[in-house]
Amino acid sequence: MTATRERNASPGARPRPRRAPLARRFWARLSRNSAFRTLGPFVPVVALWWLVAEAGVFPDAFFVGPDRVVAEVGDLLRKGILPGYLSDSLTRLGYGVGFGLLIGLPMGFLTAMSLRVRKAVWPILLFFQAIADIAWLPIVIVWFGFSLTSVTFVIVYTIVFPLMLSVVAGVEQVPGELVRAARSLGAGRVRVFVEVILPGALPAVASGVRTGLGYGWRALVAAEIIVGTSGIGFMMFDARRVGDVSQVFLGMIVLGVLWYMLDALILAPFEKATVERWGMVRSMEGDG
Amino acid sequence: MTALVIENLNKVYTDAYSGEEVTAIGDVSFTVERGEFVSVLGPSGCGKTTVLNTVAGFVEPTGGVVEVDGSPVSAPGPDRGVVFQSHALFPWKTVLGNAVFGLRMKGVPRAERERRGREYLELVGLGGFERKYPHELSGGMQQRLGVARVLANEPAVMLMDEPFASIDAQTRRRLQEDLTRIFEERRPTVFFVTHDIDEAVFLSDRVVVLSGRPSTVQEIVTVDLPRPRTWREAVDLPEFRDKVARINDLLSGGAGTGGGARVDSDSPVDVV
Repeated sequence: MTATRERNASPGARPRPRRAPLARRFWARLSRNSAFRTLGPFVPVVALWWLVAEAGVFPDAFFVGPDRVVAEVGDLLRKGILPGYLSDSLTRLGYGVGFGLLIGLPMGFLTAMSLRVRKAVWPILLFFQAIADIAWLPIVIVWFGFSLTSVTFVIVYTIVFPLMLSVVAGVEQVPGELVRAARSLGAGRVRVFVEVILPGALPAVASGVRTGLGYGWRALVAAEIIVGTSGIGFMMFDARRVGDVSQVFLGMIVLGVLWYMLDALILAPFEKATVERWGMVRSMEGDG
Repeated sequence: MTALVIENLNKVYTDAYSGEEVTAIGDVSFTVERGEFVSVLGPSGCGKTTVLNTVAGFVEPTGGVVEVDGSPVSAPGPDRGVVFQSHALFPWKTVLGNAVFGLRMKGVPRAERERRGREYLELVGLGGFERKYPHELSGGMQQRLGVARVLANEPAVMLMDEPFASIDAQTRRRLQEDLTRIFEERRPTVFFVTHDIDEAVFLSDRVVVLSGRPSTVQEIVTVDLPRPRTWREAVDLPEFRDKVARINDLLSGGAGTGGGARVDSDSPVDVV
């Protein structure tokens, strides 16, 4: 900013500052375009990928370029494998997340609100949090076999504990003055919980749901690789077995895209409509 | 009629680690009449906020009685609305949503409570801001909302805990004038805690001056300034200056000496 203004002030440098604002205006318009903001950052990544593939640094069997992956997408779509696996994975994730939230949120609030419950639950919480989700798979497979139940169990398990911890943190972070204010305006225990604790804990709960979902997503892929009957994770591992690298690449990209969509279509709008609207956090993109 | 009775109030805190006992309130007694504006003033750390918190029901006294409208206080309740120094507005509620919160808790029907909410927002000068969220308001406006939220609930007594302490001096003067105007119009009962001598004298009918810890009532100063009050007129009145000087003396410990006062307050001399 200042640099341009100084240049503007000095005579003789007329034509240059004229062009600079134009370029900046173009950039400003471009960066306001939401498609560009979403896809723009990936342009150099894809370009680099292409470049590495084209340069032939790695043998073709290990590293494929974007063109091969795109061709693979078309192929798998035509055969109906990708849609089938995708819906399998998403169904599992849906079940896992659904039950995870259903169990994790009430348990979290119960733990947060009652000192007695917290004293009883906290050590257990820490103990089970330490056992990695995948570490449960051997016993879960013994119990439930190679089934949806096994995968769901692992996802639920992965989501519940971080969710509970973040709910407790969220409740603790509600300013005591707000509770006092509500009580001195006539709110009883239940109303204080509904009107103050729930919305007050929302920022932390929302970020807890976000991390929980992220963990669940990873657990899903891991479980699919091990339980392995269908799904994106299975597809990738199976492709590795037969040496089809482009399908492995495709699987990784699908995972990334799906997560991005989940975030952009559900999580981010939810936070924008609540936490950001209320001024409880600063907008991440800083354009509020 | 007496709205608030505080009798032999005493509060001792026990330190959880050392077991040491700290007396926050020694022995405090005074009353607030209905429609009266009473300030509690004292050196910092003298427990004046503790007195307010006991009246609000946030803190259990070790000894003594607090009665509001004849019934003893045991827990927070809508008959004692609190205006906090930190505003303590609900960030997830709109300005109107905050203003009608108490009425909603009482079960007042929507149309009625919104009418009353708007009326009180208008009264504090927040008309037209109903749909905004608190974080979109300036500090001064947030505290106006804090006042409207309590007044809309029509409590027996409005408790104000250094409500203007975190607001810049210029805005504070305006808020004080607006508070006096609202008080003169509506005559709510107000219990006001502050460490600002000018503020206490300007706003109050009576000023309860507390001593340092363990606090006792040092003196209750009656302020007979004519109403309506404005800063411009008040600072020129000898009565105003006398009371400020008198309280200044009380707080600095030496009666009548005045000079070299070390008081936790803005200097009373540099009033606009």
